[in-house]
Amino acid sequence: MDNMLEMYLYETNTLLEQLDELLIEAEKNEDFTTNDVNEIFRIMHTIKGSSAMMEFSPLMEIAHHIEDLFFYIRENGLDAMNESHKSDLFNLMFQSTDALRREVEKLENNEPLSTNIDNVITDINSFLEKISGSNTAQAKENETAVSGGETKEEPGNSADLSFLPKGSYPQYIKITFEEGCGMENLRAFMVVTFLQDMEIPFECYPADVETNTDTIEFIQENGFYVCPDTTEHTEAAVEVIKEINSVSSFEVFDHKEESVPETVSHTENTETHSEAPAIKEKAVPAAASSTAAPAKQSLISVSLSKLDSLMAIVGEIVITESMVTSSPEIQNLKLDSFLKSTRQLRKLTDDLQDIAMSLRMVPVSGTFQKMNRIVRDMKKKLNKDVRLTIEGEHTEVDKSIVDSISDPIMHIVRNSMDHGIEPTAEERIAAGKPAQGEIVLSATHTGSEVIISVKDDGRGMDTAKILEKAERNGLLTKPANEYSQKEILSLLMLPGFSTNEEVTEFSGRGVGMDVVKKNVESVGGVITITSELGKGSCTTLKIPLTLAIVDGMEISVGNSIFTIPIANIRQSFKAEKDSVILDASGNEIIKCMDEFYPIVRIHNLYNIETEATNIEDGILIWVEASDKSYCLFVDELLGEQQVVVKPLPAFLNNFNIKDSGISGCTILGDGNISIILDVLNLYFVSQNQY
Amino acid sequence: MSSENTAIDTVTDVPVSTERFLTFISDGLTIGVSTDYVTEIITNHSITMIPLVPDYVTGIINLRGQIIPIIDIRLRMGKPSISYTNTSCIIVLNINDTNLGIIVDSVQQVIDIDRSQISPVPTENHQELINGMISLNERSVLLFLDHEQLTEVC
Repeated sequence: MDNMLEMYLYETNTLLEQLDELLIEAEKNEDFTTNDVNEIFRIMHTIKGSSAMMEFSPLMEIAHHIEDLFFYIRENGLDAMNESHKSDLFNLMFQSTDALRREVEKLENNEPLSTNIDNVITDINSFLEKISGSNTAQAKENETAVSGGETKEEPGNSADLSFLPKGSYPQYIKITFEEGCGMENLRAFMVVTFLQDMEIPFECYPADVETNTDTIEFIQENGFYVCPDTTEHTEAAVEVIKEINSVSSFEVFDHKEESVPETVSHTENTETHSEAPAIKEKAVPAAASSTAAPAKQSLISVSLSKLDSLMAIVGEIVITESMVTSSPEIQNLKLDSFLKSTRQLRKLTDDLQDIAMSLRMVPVSGTFQKMNRIVRDMKKKLNKDVRLTIEGEHTEVDKSIVDSISDPIMHIVRNSMDHGIEPTAEERIAAGKPAQGEIVLSATHTGSEVIISVKDDGRGMDTAKILEKAERNGLLTKPANEYSQKEILSLLMLPGFSTNEEVTEFSGRGVGMDVVKKNVESVGGVITITSELGKGSCTTLKIPLTLAIVDGMEISVGNSIFTIPIANIRQSFKAEKDSVILDASGNEIIKCMDEFYPIVRIHNLYNIETEATNIEDGILIWVEASDKSYCLFVDELLGEQQVVVKPLPAFLNNFNIKDSGISGCTILGDGNISIILDVLNLYFVSQNQY
Repeated sequence: MSSENTAIDTVTDVPVSTERFLTFISDGLTIGVSTDYVTEIITNHSITMIPLVPDYVTGIINLRGQIIPIIDIRLRMGKPSISYTNTSCIIVLNINDTNLGIIVDSVQQVIDIDRSQISPVPTENHQELINGMISLNERSVLLFLDHEQLTEVC
């Protein structure tokens, strides 16, 4: 059951994402194509079907009504709607997909589904009425003609069984559904699907339950009829039907062929006619759910935990490989063929590692597409004309990183929309800018990092105002006139700073840039803001490609070995005793590049016994993380190495290991463990200690 | 069976609750741990120390690619530590999916014990990490390791 739910959630979420993308695209073009309509119809159909299967009725109902709406649109053509209808339809669709998504989220969080979905359905229905009402009278006539024709076929009297499909079957089953369960046609369709899954050949009446909502009435009054081709199949069918929840009762009757009157030939005609498309449509969602977009890519979904264990094993192999090749026993032997094969092995393991890494890489496009939606919604609410341009959406980042940068990006985009872009087009034109604002969201690769930037051409940030505000909030640590442009902008990311006085719906909810900064730093990233008053501002995130492998510098302190990420190291140097200055409280400070930096002695901090306590015996490593910069005092540098990061055992989290400047550990070539230092965190630890 | 009988009469007619225990010695005490939790016993492993943790957390080891935290049972029970001898070893336990190694003075044997024979530790004499005891023959007492408590922080 869990597995089914997981599949369901995955499938539904994928479909909703597709739908969102499609709607955004369609709205840009201000029109639906026939393809779009078919696609929406298909998506809704699949969601309806699977929700019905899982018995999530609110989801099923919403999807069902949207499907009805699009069925109508498909039948009547897109031209039947005028412009205002179309824009209404877009809003309606966004609302309903949100409603669907809310329900899916509830499922994910194990919350009960909302029982009250009437307003969504009323919205859809009233819209359907509106567009169908404005249609030509001819269409109406057509409709009544169709429904009239159908009612004629439906017998009002249950004793009259002339409607049963003609053919030689020994028995038929009459199924009645629970009274008031609603959507009888879909429940009947579920029966049909179940029977088809069991590969039981049968005919049924009404045959077009799936597509024809008029059959609800018939099923309510007369029941749903299933006619399997042999007695054995009838028994099998009974077993299946028993299992279906909404079936209140069923009866098996013997079928007498001679009782079939002449009219059958007529019914049969219509039936074979209507059954063919019904079956065709059934096949479509089934195929669609397994290969959601056959034309785009051939994809399989793998659980992240499997990938994680694959990564772990590959990491193991890489380490073991170097353990074998650098084994001390063979160091002094001359083994030509061995060396040749080890070189081959090394190449293969490197390739393996690259491929395993690439498996975890996903394009940032998913996250970026979400921004489309946010910009669209805010555009409407704030009444600003803004265009979102996305660049480099195919840039790939580690899956875990994509997840954690989604919220920060969203926040930055919201800020740009809300505070960045001028409130009116006049203001923009007066400033000599095009009336339409622009936000550029871009992603680019640089070696081991991904740079994501959000740039707007809005008002830019007023440094004087920021300073003033910061001063009011008591955030300044030195006289205001000593702040550089860069420092002023970084004030924005301090906790307790928000440039907007009033709280709006979109930003200023107390979750400020400080949280964004924290999120970005948690994945080892750096955030910077640049801005020019009147021209716009740009927020840049520098994020490591992956957290699983880092380039590290091995250092030793006493008998312990630590790894410092190379990305954090600015320089390492020997210090003279005279160059170390003591501050008032006895902390050591050193001057490099005309700036003063505190010295953190790892052996003091971690209570490690070492002989190198004299500043001249060890070596200083100037490190930098985010906006903190300081020098670490260690015994010696051992060398640079690419290491596979392993998390520390969960047991150690009991001791707040995360707050002691350690981000993980790694296994060295000789099988020993090296602890990876978290440079930023280490700084805070040292500050607390003294 | 009446309730009065159960307390006194624990004659093992049916060997219902027999469990195997691995016994080890730490600071002169004989302690048993259910073999259900024991993964393996290792010796001579180099332990990497972890900074800023309580002293009883000796460090972590690399056991075939798995990182396992190590606890010194002596220090955990508030006893003085000794330098490790050639009988000292690490018992690797898996308690509710938490892998954990404990350093003990020496490992003894595996014995079968009827669970119903285990009596609780007198409360005034309550010791850390011990949740039961049983008297073996020849005046010796076997204590039982509270594995749940082991995974918690004291």
